[in-house]
Amino acid sequence: MSARDTLETDTRVVDAADVPRETPETEQAEESPRGEVLDDPVRRREESAEARQRAEGNWEERPFKVDREELGKFDLRRAGLPDMSIESAAKYVEEHRASRPWLAMTDRACPEATRIIAAMDAAGGHAHIRHEGSVTEEANRRRVAYREDPAQLDPQKRALSVDGLRPNDKRHRCADIATRITDPDAFATAFTRGVEHPDVRKALDMVFNQGAMPKAVWIPIADLLGPDGHDHCTGWRLKPVEGSMETAYKERNAWVVDRAEGRKSDAHEPEAQPVSTFQGGVITFMFVGNETERRYEIMTMCPDPPEDPRGES
Amino acid sequence: MPPFYWERHPDGPFATLIAVATSYLHPEIDDVDSLKRFAKAKDSQEPRVFKSELREALRDPSSLPAGELFKSVQYDDDSDEAFLGRLWHELYGDETP
Repeated sequence: MSARDTLETDTRVVDAADVPRETPETEQAEESPRGEVLDDPVRRREESAEARQRAEGNWEERPFKVDREELGKFDLRRAGLPDMSIESAAKYVEEHRASRPWLAMTDRACPEATRIIAAMDAAGGHAHIRHEGSVTEEANRRRVAYREDPAQLDPQKRALSVDGLRPNDKRHRCADIATRITDPDAFATAFTRGVEHPDVRKALDMVFNQGAMPKAVWIPIADLLGPDGHDHCTGWRLKPVEGSMETAYKERNAWVVDRAEGRKSDAHEPEAQPVSTFQGGVITFMFVGNETERRYEIMTMCPDPPEDPRGES
Repeated sequence: MPPFYWERHPDGPFATLIAVATSYLHPEIDDVDSLKRFAKAKDSQEPRVFKSELREALRDPSSLPAGELFKSVQYDDDSDEAFLGRLWHELYGDETP
């Protein structure tokens, strides 16, 4: 039974407590699937976040009509990615999925999209780790609200906002919004079409120079994923405090530091709310220099809604 | 309208400062080590413009376009001035701004 089947009409509190509910020993646990969900605090929060995303973010999961031939023809080297066959990509996923669980997203992908996602994973970018379907709605909500990194696999470190991809337990940073493309085939399609877009090509083809860095590039979602492409994007944004996103951002950061250092915070506990629509939005590409290869690469790719593109909070 | 300040105002005040700081320090990138190498590069014009604008902004933070630096970079400091001061120190050490 799907989550939607079990909680379609559930209107209970959505931000469930972080600790398991205490159940008296005499109380029998629910046996129904609905009961199993509600007695598991993690699943309860996941279901609640998805319910909010459907209700407030107008999200309805639907399949993306993928052009497999287009993805199959994509030359991975155009994005500075290691060349891979469909077979070697499948092998890569099987060999690494235990240590890199986000690769499970490829279970829902066509083989051609799996090839692209596996190559991105091997190359070290984070777009597919933090902005794709393997990130749940609850994980994105907690990322923007509490700076909990979906890429951090240690639950205790994640709860302390420790970044999962950086060394030395560096604290994870997150902008005032966290977004994703919900379908792996749509994600791979946006990436491949973005790589061939003139503005992204101009960035990737720049002659490497430590004294220069390509500026971020934005491309309309509709240009990369078609007129309904926004249906495959979801996101969470910090809830403004006293009408100000800047205040909310600073209060969140203070709250996160206080929590990580075991202090009671005077700051407002952060809250996040679903992005209402991505229609008319863009996909933002950001770049990084590869010192070894002396070239520029895509560091991340993420959808941004129309009313508040990244950097315009 | 393009979403980025430097696209809306390519010749606007502090366009290079805001664009460069965003490219290296936005939370999605957060790569101060590469920015340090950028700041030390001697064969490009942009690092010199960046340093000049950073120095100018530090001398008079009120001359920055209102809210644009924070909106674009999303730094964790309490103010533009605190961010700029920290940035100068990280990039140029004890050199006088």
